[in-house]
Amino acid sequence: MNTAAPRIAVLAASPAWRTIDFISDLHLHVGDAATFEAWQNYLANTPADAVVILGDLFEVWVGDDAAQPPGFEFNCGLILAAAASRHDVFFMHGNRDFLVGEAFLAASGMQVLQDPTALEFAGQRWLLSHGDALCLDDVEYQKYRLMVRNPAWQQAVLARSLAERRAFAREIREQGSREGDNGPTDYADVDAAAARVWLSAAGAATLIHGHTHKPGEHELGVSSSPADEHPGAGAPELRRVVLSDWDAAAQPPRAQVLRLSADGLQRIDIA
Amino acid sequence: MSNPQVELHIANYGVITLELDQDKAPKSVANFLSYVKKGHYNNTIFHRVIPGFMIQGGGMEPGMGQKPTDAQIENEANNGLKNDKYTVAMARTNAPHSATSQFFINATHNSFLNHTAPSAQGWGYAVFGKVISGTEVVDKIEAVKTGSKGGHGDVPLTDVVIEKAVAL
Repeated sequence: MNTAAPRIAVLAASPAWRTIDFISDLHLHVGDAATFEAWQNYLANTPADAVVILGDLFEVWVGDDAAQPPGFEFNCGLILAAAASRHDVFFMHGNRDFLVGEAFLAASGMQVLQDPTALEFAGQRWLLSHGDALCLDDVEYQKYRLMVRNPAWQQAVLARSLAERRAFAREIREQGSREGDNGPTDYADVDAAAARVWLSAAGAATLIHGHTHKPGEHELGVSSSPADEHPGAGAPELRRVVLSDWDAAAQPPRAQVLRLSADGLQRIDIA
Repeated sequence: MSNPQVELHIANYGVITLELDQDKAPKSVANFLSYVKKGHYNNTIFHRVIPGFMIQGGGMEPGMGQKPTDAQIENEANNGLKNDKYTVAMARTNAPHSATSQFFINATHNSFLNHTAPSAQGWGYAVFGKVISGTEVVDKIEAVKTGSKGGHGDVPLTDVVIEKAVAL
């Protein structure tokens, strides 16, 4: 089991930022108008200074060349570009939209974040991840993840025609529904030991992630890393905070934002 | 006054007859008829075909060369007509009022293409008519095999050519 700490990218919050929103796992697709509209309204109205999308914004992404007008992906790009003209919008790839590339990022005005990234805000570091790389018990998934995150594999896929890529994406989705799961809920959860290693390496106390569709907060114990020991201060309590997925058509609807300010984290239901 | 109709004669596929909604989309209809009457659509192709979504044409020749067009027109997507199955709408770039000659036929109910707000992201696509005969021709074109050509995706591997467009 690989619990080694990855390279940690750093994002320094602008001194002007007062609030930062985190969302993930919206799984936007053309067949879910309710979630699309909830997301569009949210982006148009959020008072946040920065919106951070922690993966799986899209149910599937078959390549930036699919985002042509008219089209659903193209519409999403326009909405993101409008949001990015008002406040910073950051995007981290998830396990569904790992093929989002430079062209769509440029068109939509989103700034890409590496997974994981340590956000420096309000005198602390907050570690951000989609979360799938930490679900170590699912050995098969981790092998799959290594494959699809390989640039050579991605190039080979993108060299296929759009029609072939759409068919391939449909196949994967249908396989998923045949196995009776509606996303990662049934998969392994985030490995606590690995999360502690990541947090220590990042010098952060809180990990914010999505992917599991299990919104909640989990204590991870006290940091034992020597780097965290400061005279006069106790070792920090480590924790991970899990974002909700979005499904505005569900009863009750799920559309939740995690909002960070100098006062800490707050969950806000949109729908 | 009855609505104008236009026949699209598609080589090896058949004829699609469009009825144009002159009352609700006067500018789009006048624009489309002007291209029809000057022969612009003759020997153009359906160059973007996405099953379960739409078929788009009216701007490219076989070989994917782009034909010169007239001025861009105002977007009439706020006319109340919806992008329902077998309706025809104006294609455009990311600027709302940028349609010229390209159009598309919806292959399903594409509600996300409808007008929601007078903004760049809400303008939507102007429906200006519907297929009144030849829906089976639309279905056949929708099922054509596609690939990448001339830097575009979703291009039929065998050209789907509009031999002529005729105003009735």
